[in-house]
Amino acid sequence: MTDILPRPEAPAEARPASPGQRPRAAAQGSTIERQRRRLLVPFVGPAFLFYTVLFVVPAVAAVWISLNAWTGSGPMTFVGLQNYTAVFQDPLYLKSFGNTLLILFVVGIVIFVLAFAMTLLLRDMAGRKIIRSVIFFPHLVNALVFGILAGFVFNPGGLVNTLLRPLGVTSPPAWLAQDNLFPLIMATLVATSTGYFTTILMAAVDRIPPYLFEDCALAGATAFQRLRHVILPLTWDVFGTCAVLWTISSIKIFEIIWVFGGSSGSGIPPTQSWTTAVYTYVTAFSGMSTPAYGAATASAIISLALVSVLVILLRRLMHREAIEF
Amino acid sequence: MGIVSRLIRPLALATVSALALAGCGAGGSGTSVGDSTGPITYWSMWKEGEPQQKVIAGAISDFEAESGIQVKVQWQGRSNTDKLVPALNTNNVPDIVDQTFAKLATVLGDPGQAKSLGDAYGADVEGSKVSALVPAKYSSLVNIQNKDGQPWLIPYSLITDGIWFNAAKHPDLVSAPPKDWAGFLALLDKIKASGVAPIAADGDIAGYNSMWFTTLMNRTGGAGSFRKLVSDRTGASWDDAAVLRVAQDVEQLVRGGYLIKGYDASKFPAQQQAWGSGKADLIINGSWIPAETKSYAAEGFQYSSFPLPGESAKAPLARTDFTGFAVPAKAKNAQAAEKLATFLLRKKYQDAFGTQATVLPVRSDAAVPDALKKAKESLDSAPSVYLQNDGVTYPGYIEKVFGPLDDQLFLGKISSQEFVSQMKTAQIQYWKDKG
Repeated sequence: MTDILPRPEAPAEARPASPGQRPRAAAQGSTIERQRRRLLVPFVGPAFLFYTVLFVVPAVAAVWISLNAWTGSGPMTFVGLQNYTAVFQDPLYLKSFGNTLLILFVVGIVIFVLAFAMTLLLRDMAGRKIIRSVIFFPHLVNALVFGILAGFVFNPGGLVNTLLRPLGVTSPPAWLAQDNLFPLIMATLVATSTGYFTTILMAAVDRIPPYLFEDCALAGATAFQRLRHVILPLTWDVFGTCAVLWTISSIKIFEIIWVFGGSSGSGIPPTQSWTTAVYTYVTAFSGMSTPAYGAATASAIISLALVSVLVILLRRLMHREAIEF
Repeated sequence: MGIVSRLIRPLALATVSALALAGCGAGGSGTSVGDSTGPITYWSMWKEGEPQQKVIAGAISDFEAESGIQVKVQWQGRSNTDKLVPALNTNNVPDIVDQTFAKLATVLGDPGQAKSLGDAYGADVEGSKVSALVPAKYSSLVNIQNKDGQPWLIPYSLITDGIWFNAAKHPDLVSAPPKDWAGFLALLDKIKASGVAPIAADGDIAGYNSMWFTTLMNRTGGAGSFRKLVSDRTGASWDDAAVLRVAQDVEQLVRGGYLIKGYDASKFPAQQQAWGSGKADLIINGSWIPAETKSYAAEGFQYSSFPLPGESAKAPLARTDFTGFAVPAKAKNAQAAEKLATFLLRKKYQDAFGTQATVLPVRSDAAVPDALKKAKESLDSAPSVYLQNDGVTYPGYIEKVFGPLDDQLFLGKISSQEFVSQMKTAQIQYWKDKG
């Protein structure tokens, strides 16, 4: 395992000089440099424009809306931070926030533990390409399908209870009771996301040169030692990216919760399974009461802040010197 | 020119123009309402192929031929009001939209974005005034009135609710439904003794669960009682013994074992399917239930309904919900749009709503589908009516405060006593947060 070495420092002259340090002569210098500069605006401009119009302006507008009481049309009333304090005092928001964190951390940890376990298992398995496709498949299926499937499987007269009856179970658990929905949703998320991350991690593991594993075998390393000393260090950057991807997507999880409760999407799911995304949506678009766009936007901005902080923390935490192999 | 300024100036220009463009969309409340008879834009809640769409499409082609006013229809479906919200912040609004009352109220009526339709109510349709065709007990509901006291909604069809049953199995209930709560419980006991579940309920739908409490509440104190109860900022009204009594009635249904097994752990429409196939005899639901369950109902199922009785045998009230037209305040062709709205009140189209779309037309002299005859009778005989959730549309109240606790009561998680005391606390907090 001595082959694993930190990436050698690139020779100083090969690194592009930062613009501040650039010698003056070079700045006006070569034709290529000048042409590159001329192309900067036409190339960056459109993207910058679209990004500004589609993301920056709405984000700034959202901050403004969150400081107002607004029904979505008509006059706005400036209320300062009142929406934020109201949202934070709302026990339902705190509950939804707690659920979001449960998905982020509990589901996240389970997914990655399973993903690494499967990666270890599948590496040496025959027919792993097929298995990889099979475990990836649930990720392609629309969440709506799982919502409706849950009814078929877990309804009082559904598949599970029908199968349990011959086994003498006459009073099976109330699978779809309001309090059981959220654990069920978490399990479904694990089932649908594990394959996705396993596929990415397996691709990273496949890059590891086989002689390192041969080395492990010669040294008599256990599977866990192999994971700890070879796989983890060599896939760390990929794992870090996966963790960020999961963080961002988990905080936005919405549709699966929406379809699991409340008439598969046409009603509102029970509050026990709400996340901040659902809370935000119901506050603005429930269709049953006057929309409160200010409060909804405040809740969305809090989620945005949460994602930003977590992503930065994760990047810090996961930062390692990249290893070249 | 340095590289920085060369880069920044065009980008800054682009940003400013982008902001200006975005700015154009917002604001602009000073548009004058035009009176031209030019083509009108109609955003419909129906999608092509739906029975209601066919009726309305037929009416529109007659309307165009007769008035010479062109109607540009977008069959958008139920999300039309969702699309209306952003449009209201621009000058590009439709001239007319239709939806159920609750959706129109939250998007147009409550924010004061709907045009007052007093003139349209004074218009003449086949020799009668619109105000005569839409019964006064409907048009006088404050929920559909603007601040100036004029209605902003012209309904073309109605929804009501009740306890639904198979008249082929219970012909006696058609002629002699239970008149009071005791009679209702006696009926439930009778059904239970016969070995069938008395009541089916899709407990995952908060709106169905809450029908029990809101209906019984209004039966006890008259239309508007529930609204009054939840509008109390001090929460003290929840201490009223009559409110507890209503909660106890609901609790009685739960504890008495009258509800179908598994109602608290199933997914819609499992339980209404169970009702349709005869595994339970009664269901509380809206007048859409015959159409919704038709495909799986037991053979020979004859739909009928009776109003849920309250504690005493007083003249029953009825819940009604409107499906109808509203004209945004910013509409450019408001007058022509109002003409279209009143055009749908002609007998021909009203009959078509009853016979082709099998819904309740708003005109009392229009054809009514058989399954809804009894529902229509109770609606016609009710001295006063109330809307879904008694017209409560306070931001988030039903979804976040009442719904979750009412679910707990109906699903047997909390007692009636716990329900009223928790509702009181939650309501005080709700109004405190609203400032």
